Amino acid sequence: MTSFLIGLFIATLIVALFTMRLYRLILWYSLNSLSLALLAITIGYSINDNTMILSGFLTLVLKAILIPYILKKVSVKFGLSRQIKPNVQIHYSIMLIPALLVFTFYLAEPITNMMVSNANYVAISISALFLSLLLMIEHKNIAPKIIGFLTIENSLFLLGTTATGGMPMLIELGIFFDLLMAIVIINLLFHQEEEEGLE
Amino acid sequence: MIYLLLLPAIIMLILSFSNIEKSKYILPVTSLLILFPSIKLFFLPRPYSVIGKYLVADDLSAYIMLVSSIVAICVTLAMSTLGLHVKISKKAYSRFYRFFAIFWIGLTLSILANNMGLYWIGLETATLSTVYMIKTNNTAMARKEAWNYMIVGAIAISLILFGIILIYASAKPILGEDAMIFSSLLEHAKEIKSPFLFEIGFAITTLGMFIKMGFFPMNLWLANIERASFYPVAALFSGILESAVMIGFFRFSKIAQAVDLLHVFIFVFIYTILTIFIVSFLIYRAKDFMRLFSLSGVEHMALIALFWASGGIFAALLHFGAHAFLKPALFLSTGILESSGKYKIAGALRGYRGIKGKIFYFLTALFLLSIVSLPPSPMFFSELYGFAAMVNIAKLHQHLLLMIGAIIILLILLSIIFYKFIEIYQSMKYEGKEETKVVYGNEVLALIIFAISLMVLLTPWSFEFLRGVS
Amino acid sequence: MILYTTTIILMIVIAPLLPSFMKMVKMTLLYKKPISIFQGYRDFSKLLSKEIIVSKETSSITSMAPFLVLSPLILTLFFLPPIVKGEYFVSFIDAFTITGLISLSTFFLMILGLDSASSFGGLGSSREAFISALAEPAMILTVFSVSLMADNLGVGQASINLNNHFPFEHMASFIFAGISFFILLIAENGRIPVDNPETHLELTMVHEAMILDLSGFYLMLIESASSIKFMIFSSMFASLFMPFGLHLPIILGVLVFILKLFFIALLVALLEVNTAKLRLFKIPNLLGIAIVFAFLSLITFYVLGV
Repeated sequence: MTSFLIGLFIATLIVALFTMRLYRLILWYSLNSLSLALLAITIGYSINDNTMILSGFLTLVLKAILIPYILKKVSVKFGLSRQIKPNVQIHYSIMLIPALLVFTFYLAEPITNMMVSNANYVAISISALFLSLLLMIEHKNIAPKIIGFLTIENSLFLLGTTATGGMPMLIELGIFFDLLMAIVIINLLFHQEEEEGLE
Repeated sequence: MIYLLLLPAIIMLILSFSNIEKSKYILPVTSLLILFPSIKLFFLPRPYSVIGKYLVADDLSAYIMLVSSIVAICVTLAMSTLGLHVKISKKAYSRFYRFFAIFWIGLTLSILANNMGLYWIGLETATLSTVYMIKTNNTAMARKEAWNYMIVGAIAISLILFGIILIYASAKPILGEDAMIFSSLLEHAKEIKSPFLFEIGFAITTLGMFIKMGFFPMNLWLANIERASFYPVAALFSGILESAVMIGFFRFSKIAQAVDLLHVFIFVFIYTILTIFIVSFLIYRAKDFMRLFSLSGVEHMALIALFWASGGIFAALLHFGAHAFLKPALFLSTGILESSGKYKIAGALRGYRGIKGKIFYFLTALFLLSIVSLPPSPMFFSELYGFAAMVNIAKLHQHLLLMIGAIIILLILLSIIFYKFIEIYQSMKYEGKEETKVVYGNEVLALIIFAISLMVLLTPWSFEFLRGVS
Repeated sequence: MILYTTTIILMIVIAPLLPSFMKMVKMTLLYKKPISIFQGYRDFSKLLSKEIIVSKETSSITSMAPFLVLSPLILTLFFLPPIVKGEYFVSFIDAFTITGLISLSTFFLMILGLDSASSFGGLGSSREAFISALAEPAMILTVFSVSLMADNLGVGQASINLNNHFPFEHMASFIFAGISFFILLIAENGRIPVDNPETHLELTMVHEAMILDLSGFYLMLIESASSIKFMIFSSMFASLFMPFGLHLPIILGVLVFILKLFFIALLVALLEVNTAKLRLFKIPNLLGIAIVFAFLSLITFYVLGV
């Protein structure tokens, strides 16, 4: 089951890289977080870790539902461009993405050799990190960059759950708090621009 | 204690929402409250636990807390006359204080944190709150740079979290949940089963911090951001936010040095030399005060990191303190220096009348010359001690000749910066037209506080204290 | 052996039902009066009774090619993985053989299009070449990676292995292969995001452009070839990516298999209703995604599978 969810996680990320529509991108982000949340819940259930189950549910509510909803609302409200054309053309990213995956798997090999448990998931989450960096790089618009930042957060969460078997509760909550704050700040940054436009 | 630390920030947060005219005067006064808990921390027996194992004040954090609170007070002092130099709306003004309060909460958390995760949370909070401070300057460039800061800062911060997770993973098998605690990590650093994993984590964390401080290859992003924002924000950046990043570097590298001293040294050495190499030429081409000071800030941060990594703790801390006082002072004075135009360096130091003007002129000239470490400045001493530490570490590993070569290159690069600053000073003093510039009382007061703090830093008593920090 | 022959005959018989079924679902969803599910048979019988008209400009290829289009596909049907327990299967058939046979059929289809000497034929052929050239590497990679997961290069044995012991540790890799194969199923059969099988608009058509000049018996051959091609793909999808039901008793097993086929057809129909046709020059992007997923499936097989 974990393998299935982890596959879904990276698959949604890769599809997000090819997406050219903003709302579709938000949807893929939401699915990405959904698979992450289910993953955290299943892993937490299997190792009997209540903290991880709780953070899985938090992810489900926050990242899979609330943040995509807010982003959608923000993008409707401020009329963000719905067409997001990547700077890297798709037939180049067709070659780039497999190359990146092979590279990161190769890069992660010494790290995965050290890992005590779930070594291969670490490789996946590191490659997810690089893919989300690519998502940030290949777009000029601001909205996909925000999504890229959020997916970086997701892949770090994946790394945290799989590599360390969950971080301490306090830290997890703090990270969620910071994520919410980032969303508020992003909202504010957009907000000001609208004020300018009206004046 | 924790209430004392957070009280000023919370009062400021509440006050900033009120619409009273007088809040403009109350807010800077509130920020004075910051000083008391910092001084109290300084005189308590250390290590003093603020909240359990999570927030612990040891020598290092008490020192940095004190320095940061002095800088914060001076910045808020100078902030009160910002409206007289540049156009700023009342709303933006109270917004600045609102986010300053959040910034201060995050900063307190990250400076006092004895826990990697808490440190990260504090740093992220501080970073995110500064994003909005940049936007108080209502120009297109500031808006763009605020987004830039948001994105690049987020990447840098994410890299730090990435490294922290790897470090946690490497130490969890032996320490359990305590693998997050700096002090227990330091104690058990030798026992870590997979040092390679730890070192990868350390390298990535450090990379994130270095990006955040504007090291190679991200040399110019901080300069652009500071150019786009108001000068008190730039002062906050260079004086306080970078100290929060720096204390993280201090703590992480301490543990990494316990794992493998030489690896840390070589990594930081190459990185910082490369940074200084590029930054020195960028400084040579700088055409306005903000970029000049910001780039010189990058240079000094690189020097601090280098001194710390080569074991010169005393030199690093002295340099750190001196930089933390000098750089915000210079940034605050740019508000007046640039009052006749952004790119007018020539004649910036002419035309000060009255006693306030004279004091301002004297102090700014002094600061400008001490930032390039002319002898009475603390930076001169710290650089001497720092180079001594570098030679010492080279002696241990039989690379003395190589190290002396590196120091000579470093000195050549520093002399390029020195030359540029002297040239700018001369142009400020002797060239250009004489235009009358207005100086306000609280700005002079801020500069005087900085000067007094620098003087205190040079006393034997504070040398004694810094030597005691380990 | 009797079972083997029976199932193949069954597949040929069911084949025309699937496209009609898809059309029926689509029409129902679009609030039209749906056609009968047996429309495929009716079309064939109608075409059989019509006379054959061959253009003067064409060579003998036009009279040969329809048979050559159909025969590799019929041959492929014999090589498919077993659908019920104890059925005979050809063990040495791997990804390359199946892809090769399908490409052979496509090759003759393209020749047929070129031979018609009308401008549309050439246009359709060049587009078909463009699409199938991109689809082939993904197809080989996908089937290959599934065979690796099932521990046997032969497609038939692979399907049986997947049924006996599903490799849960390779679930991620399996999903990627599934996504990739589904995209291929759509692309190779000319369904909507790639080609619209229902229009004769010269801007968009691919498959229809090549067979525009055909009539009567020849057209019937080509139509049946395309329905058999869909059958091949969907049955491969059913036996490789939905590996269950091989241990059921024969009648029930066949029933489950047919249900799977109709489920796939339903999936494709729903996708067709919900998406717009892609511009021709965006098709490489879609097939590129298929290639990326096929490749990813292979890599994750090696990385995740300890």
